[in-house]
Amino acid sequence: MKKFFFFILALTLMLPAYAALADTPVKGGSLVISKPAEPPGLDPTANTAAAIDRVVWSNLFETLVKVNDKGHFIPGLAEKWDVSPDGKVYTFHLRRGVKFHNGEPFNAQVAKWNLERAVREGTVNPHPEYFRGIAKIDTPDDYTLVTALKEVDALFIAHMAEGDASMLPMKGYEKTKSHPIGTGPFKFLKWVRGDRVEMVRFEDYWNPKLPYLDKVTFRFIPDPSAQIAALKSGDIDVIGRMISPEMAKDLAKDKRFKVLAGSTNSEVIMSTNNKAKPFDNKLVRQAMAYAIDRKMIINLVMFGYAPPIGSHWSPATPYYVDLTGMYPYNPVKAKKLLAKAGYPKGFEAVLKASAKHVYSVRSGEVIADMLSKVGIKLNIEKIEWGQWIERIFKKKEYQLTIIGHSEAWDIGIYANPDYYFQYDSQEFRDVYGKALKAPNEAEKAKWFGRCQEIIAEDAVNGYLFSLPSLPVLKAGVMGWWENYPTIVHDCTQVWWKR
Amino acid sequence: MTKAMTRYLIKKLITLIILLFLVSITVFSVLFVLPGDPAQIILGINATPETLANLRAELGLDKSFWLQYTEWIGNTLTGRGSWSINYDMPVYDLIISSLAVTGPLALLAIFVAVIISVPLGIYAARHQNRPGDVGVMFFTQLGLATPEFWLGILLILLLSVHWGLFSAGSFPGWSVDFWGSVKALLLPALALGVIRASILTRLTRSSMLEVLQEDYIRTARAKGLKERTVLYVHALRNALIPVLTILGLQLGQLIAGAIIIENVYYLPGLGRLVFQAIGQRDLPVVREIVLFMAAAVILVNFFVDLTYASIDPRIRLE
Repeated sequence: MKKFFFFILALTLMLPAYAALADTPVKGGSLVISKPAEPPGLDPTANTAAAIDRVVWSNLFETLVKVNDKGHFIPGLAEKWDVSPDGKVYTFHLRRGVKFHNGEPFNAQVAKWNLERAVREGTVNPHPEYFRGIAKIDTPDDYTLVTALKEVDALFIAHMAEGDASMLPMKGYEKTKSHPIGTGPFKFLKWVRGDRVEMVRFEDYWNPKLPYLDKVTFRFIPDPSAQIAALKSGDIDVIGRMISPEMAKDLAKDKRFKVLAGSTNSEVIMSTNNKAKPFDNKLVRQAMAYAIDRKMIINLVMFGYAPPIGSHWSPATPYYVDLTGMYPYNPVKAKKLLAKAGYPKGFEAVLKASAKHVYSVRSGEVIADMLSKVGIKLNIEKIEWGQWIERIFKKKEYQLTIIGHSEAWDIGIYANPDYYFQYDSQEFRDVYGKALKAPNEAEKAKWFGRCQEIIAEDAVNGYLFSLPSLPVLKAGVMGWWENYPTIVHDCTQVWWKR
Repeated sequence: MTKAMTRYLIKKLITLIILLFLVSITVFSVLFVLPGDPAQIILGINATPETLANLRAELGLDKSFWLQYTEWIGNTLTGRGSWSINYDMPVYDLIISSLAVTGPLALLAIFVAVIISVPLGIYAARHQNRPGDVGVMFFTQLGLATPEFWLGILLILLLSVHWGLFSAGSFPGWSVDFWGSVKALLLPALALGVIRASILTRLTRSSMLEVLQEDYIRTARAKGLKERTVLYVHALRNALIPVLTILGLQLGQLIAGAIIIENVYYLPGLGRLVFQAIGQRDLPVVREIVLFMAAAVILVNFFVDLTYASIDPRIRLE
C-alpha cells in the first residue's frame, strides 16, 4: 500500500513537469500548409496580393517592425524605436548581426536603400504613399536609422509593419519575384509553378533559437473539398484558412484535427454606391441597415464562425469601437424610414456579387431575402473578379456589391470621394486628417474611433461581419496563430508536438 | 515518301498555319477587350494610379493593339516566346513542365479507356440484346451520366481518405519520385478514362455491329474461317476507324481540358495553369497556352488521319 502511495505521489509530482515538457517547443520536423491561391510572384514589394504576403512575409522577408498574433507592433529588424516629442522623427535601432540568406549583412544603409527604393522613379510598389511622407533618412552609424517625416503620420509604424516594407538585399534583389532573398527564419528552396513553394531553415538566422521547423511547404489547392481530402489523407498538415465554414463544424469534431476561429482584419461589407439612386439618400441606407439581421447572416453564411462589425474596422485592429448596436434589426422601422425617404412601396435594385468569393454570393442571397420583407427587391448578379474590378471598382457601374476589404488600417478609403463607394463627406475627411496627425495613443483612439462612428451613422455601406481566421490544423501543430490581425502565415514559432 | 503524301502533308501544314493564325488573332483580341486590367489585378484594388501606370508601362500594356500583337507574334515566331507576368519565367518552360503532368495523364486516361472499352464493346456486339450486352449498355449509360469530377471525388473518398491507399492529390515530380508520380496519376487517369470508356464502348459496339452485317464478313464466315479470325482480323480493323476518330478527339480534349480533374487532384498540369492564369490575368500565359492547345488538337487529328491509312489501305492520302 505504502509503495502504491509513493508511486501515485511520484506520478503527481511528475505530472506538471511532464506537462511543461510537452509544452516546450522542440526543433525539427516539416510542415505542409495549404493555401487556395498561388502567389503571383514572390516579391512583396511589387504586389499587394495577399497570397504573396501570406507565403513570404515573416517567413522569408522581415520588416523593421513586426506584428504579433495579438495585433501588437513588436521589434522586427529594429530592436526598438523612439519617436521625437513632435511625433515627426522616428529613430530605429537596428538589430546587429543580421544576415541575408545570400550572406550580405543587413544594416542602416540597406534599410535606407529599401525605404528609398519604394518611391524611386518608376516604382511598382503598390503603396509608394506609405513611404512618400519621409522627408529625410539619416544613418549616423551602421545600426541607427533616423527617419524624419514631413508631417505627423499616425500610421507610419503600421505601414513599416506591412509586407510592402520588406527589407530586400541590395545585391540580388532584382530576381526577388522568382528567387526571393531575405533575412527571415526560412530561406527559399524552390517554387514548383502551379503546385508549391518550399523553404528550409536559415541556419544563420539572427535568433539562434528560431525557427523550430526544418522545412515549410506551401501547397496551392484552390478547391475546398480537395483541401479537406488532402488533410484527411495526411498530405497536408494545415489548411491556412478554410473557405467553407460549413466544413469546419465537422472537422472540429474530429480528434485528429483542431479548428481555430480567431478574428482577422478583413471586413465583409455590402458596398453601396452612394451616388446611385436611391442609395444617395441617407434614409434609404439607414433603412437597409435596420432591415439587415447581421446575426442571421453570420449564422446562415458563416455557420456562426464570424464576429459582427458595425463599421469599417474589425475587432482585431487597435482602436476598434463596437458599433454593432447602432442599427438593431427592426424591419418596421426600416419600412417607416423608406416611406419617409419617398419609397413607401420599396424599390428594385441589383446586387452584383463576386462569384469567386463564396461569402459574397451567399450573403447576397440572405440579404435579398431580408430586404424583400421591407419591400426592396434585390436581383443578384454574379460576376467574375476581373469584371468586378473593371466595372464596379473602376467604373462604379453598380448599386450594391458584397466584398471583403482585407487591408489593415484602410478606413482612409472613405476620405476619397472618388473611391467606388462614392462617399463624399467633409466631416469625415476632417476627422480622418486629425486622426492621421494624432501625436499620441489617446488622440489616435479618439479620432480613429470618431472615423468609425461617422461612417456607421451615415450607413455608407452595409457592415456585415469580419472574416474569421479559421485555420484547421493537425492536433500536433503548435504555435499557429489563432487571430490573423495582419496578412501573414508566420511560421517562425510553429512546432510539432510529439 | 510518295508525291501524294508530300502534297497531303503540305496541304495539312498550310491549314495548320492558317488555323493557328486565326486562333492567335481571336485569342489576342478577346483578351484585349476582356474587362479586368492586369495591372490592377496584380497590384490590388488600393494601388495608387502612379504605380498602376508604371506597371502598365513595364508590362507593355500601354502600347496599341497592333503593336502588342505583332510583338507577341514576332516573339513566338522567333522562338523567344513570352514571359509570364506572375511566374517570372518563360511561358515555354511553364508549358513544358505542366505538359510533363498533363501529357502522361492524358495518355494514361486514353489507355484506361481503350483497355476497358474495346473488349467490352466487342463482347457486347457479340452478345447483342442478350443479358451481357444489356448489362454493358446499362453501365455505359451510367458512365455517360456521371460527371468526371464526381467520380474523381468518389475515388478520393474511398481510396485516399477511407482506405489511405493513395494520396488525395498532388504530384511529386518525375525526377523526385518516378513511381510516386505514376501513382499520383493513377486515380485521375482512372476517373478520366472510365468516363471516356463509356462512350467508346458504345461506339465500338455499334461500329462492330455494323461491320458484322457487311457482305465480306458473311463471305469470310462462308469460306469457313474461325469466328475469332473473322472478328479480330476482318471485322475489328474496319470497326476501329470511327473509334479512332473519337479517340483522337478525346486525346486532344484531354490535353486541353483536364482542368476540372486537375483541380480536384491539384495536379500542376496545363489545365490548371491556364485556369489560374485567366483568373490572375497573366495574359502572356493564357495566349501561348491557348495557341498551344489549338496546335495540339490539330496535330492529334492530323496523326489520326494518318493512322486511318495504315488501318484501312483503301483510304489514300489524296
